[in-house]
Amino acid sequence: MKWVLAFLVSLAVAVPAYAHVGSKDVYEELNAGPYKLFVTIRTPNVIPGVATVEVRSSGASISSLRITPTPLTGEASKHPPTSDAMQPSAADPAFYTGSLWIMAAGSWQVHFDVDGAAGKASSSVPVAAMPLSILPMRRSMGILLALLGILLIAGMAGIAAAAVGQSRLSPGSAPGPAAQRKARTAGAVALAITLLLVYGGYKWWNAEAESYAADLYHPLSLSPTLNGNALDLEIGRHDTDATHTFRARSNSDLLPDHGHVMHLYAIRQPGMDAVFHLHPTLASDKHLRMTLPSMPAGTYRLYGDIVHANGFPETLTADLIVPADMPGAPLASEDASAAPPALSQGELGTSYKLPDGYTMIWDRPQELHANTAYAFRFRLVDASGQPAADARPYLGMAGHAAFVKSDGTVFAHTHPEGSAAMQAMMLANGSPAEMADTGSMAGMDMTAAGSDPISPMVEFPYGFPSPGRYRIFIQMKHTNTVETGVFDADVR
Amino acid sequence: MSTAAHYPAALTSRSPSSIPWYIWVGALAITSSSIGGAWDVSWHRSIGRDTFWTPAHMAIYACGVLAGIICAWLIAKGTFGHDDALKAASVKVFGLRAPLGVFLAGWGCVAVLTSAPFDNWWHNAYGLDVKIVSPPHALLILGLRGISTGVMFLILAAMNRAAENDARTFKQLQLLLLYVGGLAIVGQMFFVQEYTWDVKLHQAAPYIAMGIALPVLFATFSQASRSNWAATSTAAVYTVMVIAEILILPLFPAQPKLGPVYHPVTQMIPAKFPILILVPALALDLLWRRVKNWKPWQIALVSGILFIAVLTAVEWPFANFLLSDASRNRFFGTIYFDYNSRPTGADRLREWFYPDHGIALYGGLMRAAVYASLSTWIGLLFGRWMRGVQR
Repeated sequence: MKWVLAFLVSLAVAVPAYAHVGSKDVYEELNAGPYKLFVTIRTPNVIPGVATVEVRSSGASISSLRITPTPLTGEASKHPPTSDAMQPSAADPAFYTGSLWIMAAGSWQVHFDVDGAAGKASSSVPVAAMPLSILPMRRSMGILLALLGILLIAGMAGIAAAAVGQSRLSPGSAPGPAAQRKARTAGAVALAITLLLVYGGYKWWNAEAESYAADLYHPLSLSPTLNGNALDLEIGRHDTDATHTFRARSNSDLLPDHGHVMHLYAIRQPGMDAVFHLHPTLASDKHLRMTLPSMPAGTYRLYGDIVHANGFPETLTADLIVPADMPGAPLASEDASAAPPALSQGELGTSYKLPDGYTMIWDRPQELHANTAYAFRFRLVDASGQPAADARPYLGMAGHAAFVKSDGTVFAHTHPEGSAAMQAMMLANGSPAEMADTGSMAGMDMTAAGSDPISPMVEFPYGFPSPGRYRIFIQMKHTNTVETGVFDADVR
Repeated sequence: MSTAAHYPAALTSRSPSSIPWYIWVGALAITSSSIGGAWDVSWHRSIGRDTFWTPAHMAIYACGVLAGIICAWLIAKGTFGHDDALKAASVKVFGLRAPLGVFLAGWGCVAVLTSAPFDNWWHNAYGLDVKIVSPPHALLILGLRGISTGVMFLILAAMNRAAENDARTFKQLQLLLLYVGGLAIVGQMFFVQEYTWDVKLHQAAPYIAMGIALPVLFATFSQASRSNWAATSTAAVYTVMVIAEILILPLFPAQPKLGPVYHPVTQMIPAKFPILILVPALALDLLWRRVKNWKPWQIALVSGILFIAVLTAVEWPFANFLLSDASRNRFFGTIYFDYNSRPTGADRLREWFYPDHGIALYGGLMRAAVYASLSTWIGLLFGRWMRGVQR
């Protein structure tokens, strides 16, 4: 058993967390009518399992907050189970906690029903749920179970011996030597049978553990090939095993998110000193293509965000080696890049000087703790130090953020609403899937020209999943320039 | 060697009131776990969400607690006390003294106790299991079976001792044994329920499962209880319990507290209508009255064939009825579906689930008859041995 568990644990460590990499929890700012909710959903590592939900309310005052989980699409999305009331904290009445069961792997949503001073309202947050790991058994628990197991095995042998040797004797009489011999034989036979049963149980346990391990989440594969500066990306199907339908995801059902089927981040390793936010286009149903801009040579880690038709988001990863002699091309208008100092050159500050004289500023909290929800605020100021008057939406949003851990185990591409994929957000809240594609949703203007100036300040709800050093890439736009600010975070 | 004069109290119960309290408590414990098991399955089919403290779980734990009390008390009294009657009717295991049934039940309690932390770890490691048969659940079921077998042996030993000189107590203990045996049939049918779903009754699998699981118990109870109607009575206990479940559970409102919900549920969902095992059980009883002088293997061979033939002859057409509109009422209960019953599933569509035909069917039924014969043979031998149990 031990080696199986060790193997499974080693698998678990390498497993990314679907929507992003190594960052499974959902942080979302919801506007449910007049109510403003900062939602954190911590999904379970095992499925079925319990997700915990935390909400901070900062809009109209709330009298009751209820949560219901349903699949995002399909028949079961029409029949919600009974909802659960979230409990306000005694110390902080605007902070609510609750929990809910995620019974199957896949694309889910959590529905929030709010009641309060301004009447009833509701909204939903998409949640991707997949089994990610197997918990190893603690030594103390193993010892306890082993001792009880030995007692049961020995007990069965003793009982069999007593049954054969003594139970049929008339009351009060003592067993003779023949009966005692028979009893010993019976005890030995029972011991052998029990040990065989235990061996059968061991095989069964291993089979169950392996079947569970096979169901653990793995992203679809991403295979890049570079020809000159033409990049081809092939999305592989992870598994076509029909008995495991939830992990046999399609590689040809991608939904455009912010007008693009893939948001591809290329980050040069190991210094994270070159970053590109690119948008390959569909060449065939599982095959994407793009012409790369001029990129400094080196090994790049690729993180490709996609969304499936059922709202399930994934981040596909691969490595790409860019040779020194790769032909260059200008950056496409919706793409972005930055060349910050390498990680090894020390921690970046809270103010990042951009190439055209503008500056991006991070209002960094005093201390950063893992697994804590924050709304990280960034501001764009012009060359004169004034808030930029010409800020524009970038891909329909006030900004895009990527939180990347220095060792590459965490990557999360998030938006001002939160870390859920925008397309899944629309499915959850009843907007037609095509809307993100056409950019017709309010505030979701996809066109670069003609949009009105917006506030040069953007907030990203997010929580770091583990302590360590992170690099944060923020994209904001002014007039026709997409800026990428880079910041470092030391998370405890 | 008659020791009856020496050890009157527990050994040769002279009046009906002298059936010891622990036998009643043991029977109560098994009743509690049977009801708890049925309730828990219904809970999972209608409400879904589960905590340690659901009433169904409490009913199952109560079985372990009651059995634990009996075992601890009898082992302490038999080992360290001065009750000569109890000591005389005890067996010795690892230096402890108590009747054999007490050790079996005690073993069951330890197994149940072990399954609890094991199951809890299992849920944390692999997720809450949505199936009945997982390793920790198998250990739990084995433990509950241990308790039920132990209580049966307690009754049996007392009954065997009373057989010689106390007809009234014997009769009472015999009835109690048949009742507890009936609960064992309930348990056995509970264990094979994933095969005996009504939409699967035109497969060979349910007949194979029942051919293995039932004749062994019917033959054991028939031999051990010395009743001519043991199979019929124990099958009747199962039939009555399941019909009672169908009539009672839907009276209680319930709503799913878990998704995905594919079928809106408004009340507790009961079990499927009982399999008509009462008829083949009656056939076995009638056969066994007539073949008492046959050799066990001869009886077993005929019994196995008879059991499967009669079971198939009654259940096959009855399954047609269960899938027809005529059975859609409160009594036959084919109007109830789980909250996670898919609208396209065989159960909701009332269609056969992969029915067997031709060779697969007839070959399967023949295998079922072979298994049923072997099952009967084991039961006959074990039941005859049980007749001699005195302690």
